[in-house]
Amino acid sequence: MTLKPTHALWLAALVSFALLPQFIAVKYYLHLSILALIWVIAAQGQNLIQGYTGYVSIVQAGFIGIGAYSTALMGLHYDLPVWLTILLAPVVTAVFALGIGYPSLRVKGHYFAIVTLAFNLVIFIVLMNWHTLTQGEAGITGIPKPGSPDGWFNWRDRETYYYFVLIVAALMTGLAALITRSRIGQVLIAIRQNEDLVGAIGISAWKYKLFAFVTSAMFAGLAGAIYAHYQSFINPEIFGVAQSLDAILAVIIGGSGTIAGPVIGAFFVVFLPEYLRFADSFRLIIYGLVLVLATIFMPRGIVGVATSFSDWFMRRRR
Amino acid sequence: MIEILQQIINGMAIGGVYVLIALGLTTVFGILGIAHFAHGSVSMFGGYLTFFLMTSQGLPLAVAILVALATGFVLGLLIELLAYRPVRSASHINAFIVALGLTMMVEGLNLEFFGHEQVVIPTDFNRVFDIGGVTIPELRLYVILAAALLIATMTIFVEKTKTGQAIRAVAENRDAAILMGVNVNTIPLVVFAISTMLGVCAGIMVGALFAIAPGIGEGLVIKGFAVLILGGLGSIPGAVIGGLVLGITEALAAGFLSSAYKDVIAFVVMITVLLVRPQGLMGKA
Amino acid sequence: MGDDTYMLNVIAYDDEANPTGASNAVRKLIDRDGVKFILGFCCSGATGAVASFIGNEDAVMLVGNAAERSITTRGISNLTRTRPPADYTGAAAGTFVADKGHKRVAVLGALDVGFYASYVDAFEKELNAAGGEIITREAFGLKDRDMTPQLTKIREQNPDAILVVGYVEPAAFIYRQAVELGIDVPRYGFTSGSEEQFLRVASSEQMEGVWDLRPTELTLLSATETGIAYHANYSARFGIAPSPSSPYAYDQTYALKHAIEAAGTVEDTAAVAAALRELPVPPEVVMQYLPVDGKMFDVNGQAYTSNGAFQWQDGNWVFVQDLPSDAAAYSAFLSTLD
Repeated sequence: MTLKPTHALWLAALVSFALLPQFIAVKYYLHLSILALIWVIAAQGQNLIQGYTGYVSIVQAGFIGIGAYSTALMGLHYDLPVWLTILLAPVVTAVFALGIGYPSLRVKGHYFAIVTLAFNLVIFIVLMNWHTLTQGEAGITGIPKPGSPDGWFNWRDRETYYYFVLIVAALMTGLAALITRSRIGQVLIAIRQNEDLVGAIGISAWKYKLFAFVTSAMFAGLAGAIYAHYQSFINPEIFGVAQSLDAILAVIIGGSGTIAGPVIGAFFVVFLPEYLRFADSFRLIIYGLVLVLATIFMPRGIVGVATSFSDWFMRRRR
Repeated sequence: MIEILQQIINGMAIGGVYVLIALGLTTVFGILGIAHFAHGSVSMFGGYLTFFLMTSQGLPLAVAILVALATGFVLGLLIELLAYRPVRSASHINAFIVALGLTMMVEGLNLEFFGHEQVVIPTDFNRVFDIGGVTIPELRLYVILAAALLIATMTIFVEKTKTGQAIRAVAENRDAAILMGVNVNTIPLVVFAISTMLGVCAGIMVGALFAIAPGIGEGLVIKGFAVLILGGLGSIPGAVIGGLVLGITEALAAGFLSSAYKDVIAFVVMITVLLVRPQGLMGKA
Repeated sequence: MGDDTYMLNVIAYDDEANPTGASNAVRKLIDRDGVKFILGFCCSGATGAVASFIGNEDAVMLVGNAAERSITTRGISNLTRTRPPADYTGAAAGTFVADKGHKRVAVLGALDVGFYASYVDAFEKELNAAGGEIITREAFGLKDRDMTPQLTKIREQNPDAILVVGYVEPAAFIYRQAVELGIDVPRYGFTSGSEEQFLRVASSEQMEGVWDLRPTELTLLSATETGIAYHANYSARFGIAPSPSSPYAYDQTYALKHAIEAAGTVEDTAAVAAALRELPVPPEVVMQYLPVDGKMFDVNGQAYTSNGAFQWQDGNWVFVQDLPSDAAAYSAFLSTLD
């Protein structure tokens, strides 16, 4: 395999992410970076269904919630080790995603979006009301950190957790790249471009759509599990429709249907509010405006703009 | 028996609001293929505006409603021209994302102009009628009647007027409509103006009967889409029946099954219809 | 303090009333701004999130009016709370309603919110002890404004009284719609809404006779002299009457001042946190506290205010009487929870 310029870019990005904690003087920004890396995982999942397959799903935060609650509850009730419940959480999420995806994928386009949104509301209502299981609005506290207190790594230290999340986010980004480059990925892109045509050449598109949907949910479930053990506290409020919209925003802003897009977009949605310290109403207006303008003027996101710019630059040099 | 009748009456008021929201959505979707997610927040803007005109400007209810309707007309034109027209030829996913962005903007503007406190449009209709043990407040009765009147007007407009026929022609076959000399640039404008005015009416009804507050519009638009899925996409009778079915189902679910899960039950009904009859109750197979 | 005078330097962030927003804001206060003392906290979800990690931080957290009980049952030594948990008030309310002779009470509440549910649980326990029962528990969501389905169901069951627990915005609709449906049994509630908030939704006639059973907070009819002076000064300076949550912030500030003076340090947060636990009720506070063992905060870091019964009469909330509240017994009970 020859080293292409994009590979060099990825390597450089990985190195700078690895060095990042050494340059962060204020731990608060390390905290935000951890949250952003968790969002990278969820956004890579969202990108599979939204960016590659062309189906806007508005239930990603609901799936993050299922992942977070399943890891916390399995640890609480069955006393399983943390690393195991983190691994099981995406599997639990996948089961829910199968049940949700099967009926939802019977409709296309906008209706798929609305139906998934309804499912996000249902997940939220159940998390709020099923007190005996989820403890309702009060939430679950004291979710343990991975590792034992006298183990090799001090997981309470945010730097340790940063590297843990970085490794997972890099692996999941790699996995997303593998999926999209595979034959499955090619079929998903074909579905986005012309679903009828895919059906016409004898491929049962629904299997591929369900695969993309469930995989996307598993990414979310994993992100949720990592989030739960990082914050040690979860309650339903952060698994609502607004956060699902953030996942969509991350994909659109970064560049939908690209692998780098969700990475950029995730950092964008986590850090943007920090620099938009206005009242809530202004933040909403600016978010909305960014979304509308980005869709109209740069439908391929930041990655799209960067690519066109570098193409233009390369041509100039020749 | 009285309990069931009372619950049906209870559900009809909110059902009427759902119908109006769904009518606005279904015309936009049926004709332009856009899932206009911002419709709920725009409707709430209409309700807020009416409240503002009455309490801060001292206008009487009827005048405030007329001003709000005129504003809704203009707002509809602007939404089409500035937000949706630029993405008309792009894929549908883009229009939907624009709709999401628009929702955030309108919600933010509502918050900025009207604050986060709930708002109730004041009316003088305080009597309560009691018919054999079934009670119905005067205001609820008027809301149900007004919704019925608007539905009838909308049907006559689409079926009988020339503009209505042009709209239907575009919905059925865009290319043929162009050949017949229909101006496909003005039709979307008309559709958005009408849809927004219907939304403003719904917003006023919600504001008078219940309250307008941040987030209420988003809740309503989701119910509106549920109605469309129930009734069948782009179908006016479907929107009417779907809206009433949803409103009454919610009331009966809260009264006889579980009040905590009444919304879940409503969505379960929607999903069941989707599985059994994907084209909706009134849609063509 | 001593020869040194310290000015409180206030840095404020919005917790966005959501757990992630609150965690981020507190992380920023501690990590970036070097803040040692954090006051405020109104919402249970946001407070719960911060409480889950504050025990490991070099800071003291003073919670205002978040009512979720578990905040002070986790044994967090550097946290105190001014507002008593909702079930402390709920028990007092249950006794009050039982004393009125009601046997069959129907509940309509925001039961998905933990502290409202715990209010009802404590209410039910006292009602049962007096031979009464809750005949139905109906719920509504945060954005619901049409409660006629739930009220119709309640109407069919012919209760002696109804109990409404929830935020004022939906609760006002419940009171109005109950009248519209012809329900004419006594209405009790736990809402803490102002006259103005209710009158936006319901007429004064529709509200007539409704009870509100809640912490007394700052009520002019029952306030101490400092309380009345606070109300007057606040109104004069800001041009509006103090909001129900402002006295919590005011009292916290004085509790913190006295604790810092008693500890003799602003650096050693553990000493200040310990001093808070030993503090008698400071003279400057504006609400009425029921001290436990002579201290404002008990061993759990929990303070107790008095509870009151208010009734809507001719367009106003009127303070009728104190509710029978046993702070010492509740404090002992709170210590048994984990």
